[in-house]
Amino acid sequence: MDATSRPAVVIDNGTGYTKMGFAGNVEPCFILPTVVAVNESFLNQNRIASKANWLAQHSAGVMADLDFYIGDEALARSRSSSTYNLSYPIKHGQVDNWDAMERYWQQCMFNYLRCDPEDHYFLLTESPLTAPESREYTGEIMFETFNVPGLYIAVNSVLALAAGYTTSKCEMTGVVVDVGDGATHVVPVADGYVIGSSIKSIPISGKDVTLFIQQLMRERGENIPPEDSFEVARKVKEMYCYTCSDIVKEFNKHDKEPAKYIKQWRGIKPKTGVPYSCDVGYERFLGPEVFFSPEIYSSDYSTPLPAVIDKCIQSAPIDTRRALYKNIVLSGGSTMFKDFHRRLQRDLKKIVDARVSASDARLGGELKAQPVEVNVVSHPIQRFAVWFGGSVLASTPEFFAACHTKTEYEEYGASICRTNPVFKGMY
Amino acid sequence: MILLQSHSRFLLQTLVNRLHNLEKAVELDYHWVEFGDVRYHVQVSVKNPHLLLLSVSLPTPPSETIFFGGLPRGAIEAIKAAYAPVVQILDPPKDGFNLTLKLNLSKLPPDEEYRQAFLVKIASVREVVLGAPLRVALKHLSSRTAAPATDPLLSLVHRPNESFFLVPQADKVTVVFPMRFKDSIDIVLATSFLQEFVEARRTAGLNNAPSCLWSPSPPLELKDVPVESLSANAGFVTFVISPRHVEGKKLDRTVWNLSSFHAYVSYHVKCSEGFMHTRMRRRVESLIQALDRAKPDLEKSRKTAPSRSFKRLSLKEARANSKS
Repeated sequence: MDATSRPAVVIDNGTGYTKMGFAGNVEPCFILPTVVAVNESFLNQNRIASKANWLAQHSAGVMADLDFYIGDEALARSRSSSTYNLSYPIKHGQVDNWDAMERYWQQCMFNYLRCDPEDHYFLLTESPLTAPESREYTGEIMFETFNVPGLYIAVNSVLALAAGYTTSKCEMTGVVVDVGDGATHVVPVADGYVIGSSIKSIPISGKDVTLFIQQLMRERGENIPPEDSFEVARKVKEMYCYTCSDIVKEFNKHDKEPAKYIKQWRGIKPKTGVPYSCDVGYERFLGPEVFFSPEIYSSDYSTPLPAVIDKCIQSAPIDTRRALYKNIVLSGGSTMFKDFHRRLQRDLKKIVDARVSASDARLGGELKAQPVEVNVVSHPIQRFAVWFGGSVLASTPEFFAACHTKTEYEEYGASICRTNPVFKGMY
Repeated sequence: MILLQSHSRFLLQTLVNRLHNLEKAVELDYHWVEFGDVRYHVQVSVKNPHLLLLSVSLPTPPSETIFFGGLPRGAIEAIKAAYAPVVQILDPPKDGFNLTLKLNLSKLPPDEEYRQAFLVKIASVREVVLGAPLRVALKHLSSRTAAPATDPLLSLVHRPNESFFLVPQADKVTVVFPMRFKDSIDIVLATSFLQEFVEARRTAGLNNAPSCLWSPSPPLELKDVPVESLSANAGFVTFVISPRHVEGKKLDRTVWNLSSFHAYVSYHVKCSEGFMHTRMRRRVESLIQALDRAKPDLEKSRKTAPSRSFKRLSLKEARANSKS
């Protein structure tokens, strides 16, 4: 049996959540927080007394290098006992801790998907700003440790575009607005190729929304245990936040009808087990507002997201700009706020229309510019759009030909993973 | 995680999710593959939301292993015994699969705890089907009755075109695994892993474990087996299972641990490779640090005090460095 006859494994490692599953399905099998809980208590004393250490481990029923958990289990473990330390392998969209990342992949394959990595081709994702060295590292781990027969490292923004590909039309030109938990990128893609020089990123991401909500709730003096406040803020963000069209009107609405707009959050204090409840008020719309008026959150960054998108498209080649305005695709969990795409489209349209009318006025009404079509696309699978794109891509027969194979790796080494064809002419 | 679990995590998650929103009609269609080339397909249609079709395809058996109607011997009986009222076997199975089960989720037992246990049981369908002949042999062992009129040697498929062998006797069952690996590094690691494994069995704490042996050539029990199915590049592992290993609840665990033995070894080989990489990475980092210290850095050395221009290793650290 050949590995090409089995579905490829698609793993999209994000800063916040990892999406994994088999190609050809419409949903990932598992969506887990990207976190590893490691028991360091046995690992560090390795050198001092290996024999005694071995006995101690034996009686504790563990093997030091296998005593770790990932995902939700990791969070539960670290909460219930103090021997486990949490480590987040990915920071700001880049792999930060390769040891933890390798362990994470190991558990993904053997414990969650329960597949034999030698039997499947793999599709992994990376952010468009990943360094070539880190791609090499990924290739090394995949080929050396896991012996995968083939590997493709895809750019997540191209996959997000590919996710829209099947639902409506064959459009591989567009701007991908990828707002994840750790990084926000605006990536223009023309005919499937990334326009590398026009990629823009902003220092505000999903995590900042959570931190902002946490800060708001703390300042209002809500009754939340401090060790839990970040988790509560994250849950509030995921469950209650929405995007408003006008912040002043929204404040008025909340003040007039608090019963309708203010929600209750109930929880149990982890240490004492006492139930508590707190109000969720303005942060419901102020959280997502961070993207549109960043000055309310940080003092050193104040360019709103629509302006960044506009700047990004303006710096792209002139013949692609209309097509780019026409297809602005959202991806990542932090674009899931209700009406996010409407607000983005409205604000962007305003900027574009202002520029068009200014140029009309300059020309004195002799020539009329054709109006620019601005279209922000949103689809229901935004949360795992990148994964879905990967699943679609990996189920085409051409996929297996595009992969780096084990034989190639053995012939040339890790440098085969260095370049990605979608960045043609960049390196 | 040291041992692989017997239930498929994703199948269990799907079943539990389905049960929680039983009245909500959704269309489900999932395909996935597990180690040893076991494929699953789950289907739920909008019309009958409480019915779930589960198809399983098993690895292709080698020539010495015989399937009856596409399934190992005794599998049908095992399925019926395990899941009687809820599950119905569809004949013929779906195209490309060996077995199709129709689960009626509305017939599940109402008791919450029992129901959860039942779902786990369904999720470990591969253990029930692939381990059926093994379970029969071990059951006979626990009741100390010789199996009626079976061959002196059974072969059971556990990976595509690979099988392991079983010699049932009245007071013991001998299980022999020919271990095969594809990659040259894996072969070396697996060989030494298995030798260590046999060695570890001799430690005082494990007196009650089944005795196990490793040998590079086929053991005597396999003298009747054709030579072409005895090519193993990582040697042969023999376990001798005695009645006390299959008493009562231990039976399920023994069946699963034996039928997933190859996957277990391969998992640990991968883990050790990962662990070695971690060590190598740490070593490279420390070497790079040493190189960095040796770099003549004029700008900095002018600013810092002369006594701090090199780091003096203490005796303990030096010894630790030379060891690793």
